[in-house]
Formats: sequence, structure tokens, C-alpha cells
Amino acid sequence: MTKDTLSLTFSALADPTRRQILARLANGKLSVTQLAEPFKMTMPAVSKHLKVLERAGLIVRGREAQWRPAKLQAAPLKEAADWVEQYRQDWEESFDRLDAYLKTIQNEE
Amino acid sequence: MDQLEERQIEVSRTFEAPLELLWRVWTEPEHFMKWYGPKGFTAPTCEIDLRKDGRHLWSMLSPDGMQMYYTGTFKEVVPMERLVFSDGMSDAEGNFMGMGEGMPEYWDVTVTFVHADGKTTVTVSHVGYGASAEHAGMGWEQAFDKLAAVLAKG
Repeated sequence: MTKDTLSLTFSALADPTRRQILARLANGKLSVTQLAEPFKMTMPAVSKHLKVLERAGLIVRGREAQWRPAKLQAAPLKEAADWVEQYRQDWEESFDRLDAYLKTIQNEE
Repeated sequence: MDQLEERQIEVSRTFEAPLELLWRVWTEPEHFMKWYGPKGFTAPTCEIDLRKDGRHLWSMLSPDGMQMYYTGTFKEVVPMERLVFSDGMSDAEGNFMGMGEGMPEYWDVTVTFVHADGKTTVTVSHVGYGASAEHAGMGWEQAFDKLAAVLAKG
């Protein structure tokens, strides 16, 4: 089952642990061990989160067999942020028009 | 990180108009067509069947002449208080078409109306995005603000 990419991004961001993982990766790539440390989580649990992030295209995993570092990819985040911004802007413009319209009809009364 | 709570993308505005009027301009097609849409757009057609499971179908004409249709059904209609409806791009007959690559077929919109001192505050929120179970306890705006700040440093 394919999912639209924005939904995958939003799903990935829906979890606070994953958001923290992304925030830490903004400072540079990290291994699963390094990522697991502050969370007191098991490695499989962290790996599960990384899989979600990877599927959303938010991180890529390195190829080095032993430690496969995770690296942040900004493009899906930017896409989602742009969508949010455009949505907000469209509504603000609609509200401007609504405001003007309300003034018009109230003045007619 | 902040306390988890169900948050959505929210846009709010307070209008100098009574509650009843705001409700009318949102739910009556003759009024709705006169303001809905971004700057430069018009809404040439509009049908609203205002009840649970009722359908809405409106069109939008862009400044450069492109006509798009949007449809959906009402999940909740609480007069003077709240509207919840699905909304997505469709064809002229009201079949969902999807909104482009990487986008879902529709999303759920909630509109609330709150009255105080002769003014009415309208809040539009985008409730979930696809299956709501995925998005329980999500703070999109918080996530973006924080991540944007972190990424901007890098």
C-alpha cells in the first residue's frame, strides 16, 4: 500500500521520540547506539523509529556494516513545512475577504 | 519536549460581526461564494447540503482562469458552534481526484465559532491528515518550529 509522501512525513513527525531523533541528527550523523543513549530505549525500539523515519525519506542510513549511521534529509520536512505555510496563507486571504464581505453586508442594513 | 496533546494546524480570526451572521455566511451558498478562497479567486458555483453526511460541492476559479472543484461530506453540523467536514479536490460531479503527487485525497476540516462582546472568532483547523489514529497527540506546528530552528542553525 503506497502512502502519499506528506502523510508519511506527518506520521513520522507524530512521535516525540522521532522528533528528538531528528533534532539530534541536525547536528550530524549518529549511530543507533548513540541515538539510543538518552532515551533509555532498547536498540530494537530505536531501530523501529529509524525505519519509520527512513520510509518517510527523512533520514538515510549509511552503508558501513557495523554502525550504519543515520543522516538527516531536509527535503521532506521542507515540503511539509511549505504545505503548512501555503495552507495557512490561503486561509488568511480567505479571512481577509470574509472580513471585507461582512463589512459590506452589515453596512447595507 | 512539550506535553503531547492533539493539535492541528489552526488559523483563527476575530470578526466584528454577530455569531448568527458568521454562521450564515459559512453555510449559505449565496454568501459563501462571495468570500471563500484566496485573493483573486472566485467561487462560481456552490452547493451545500448542511446536515450530517450531506455533501458540499463548490468550485474555485483562479485569477488565470483555472477552474477547480472541491467536495466532501459533513461529519458534524452544530449550529452556531461547529462544522466538521471532509474537503478535497474533485471533478465537476464531485468525485475525489486527489490533490497532486504526494498528496492525500482529502483532509478533514473543523470550523468553530465563538462569540464574545458582539464579535465572533472563527477558527479553522485541519484535523488529522489521513487516518486520525496516526496523528493522535501530534503537534505539527511545534514540530516544525523546533525543527526549523534547529535546521536553521546547521
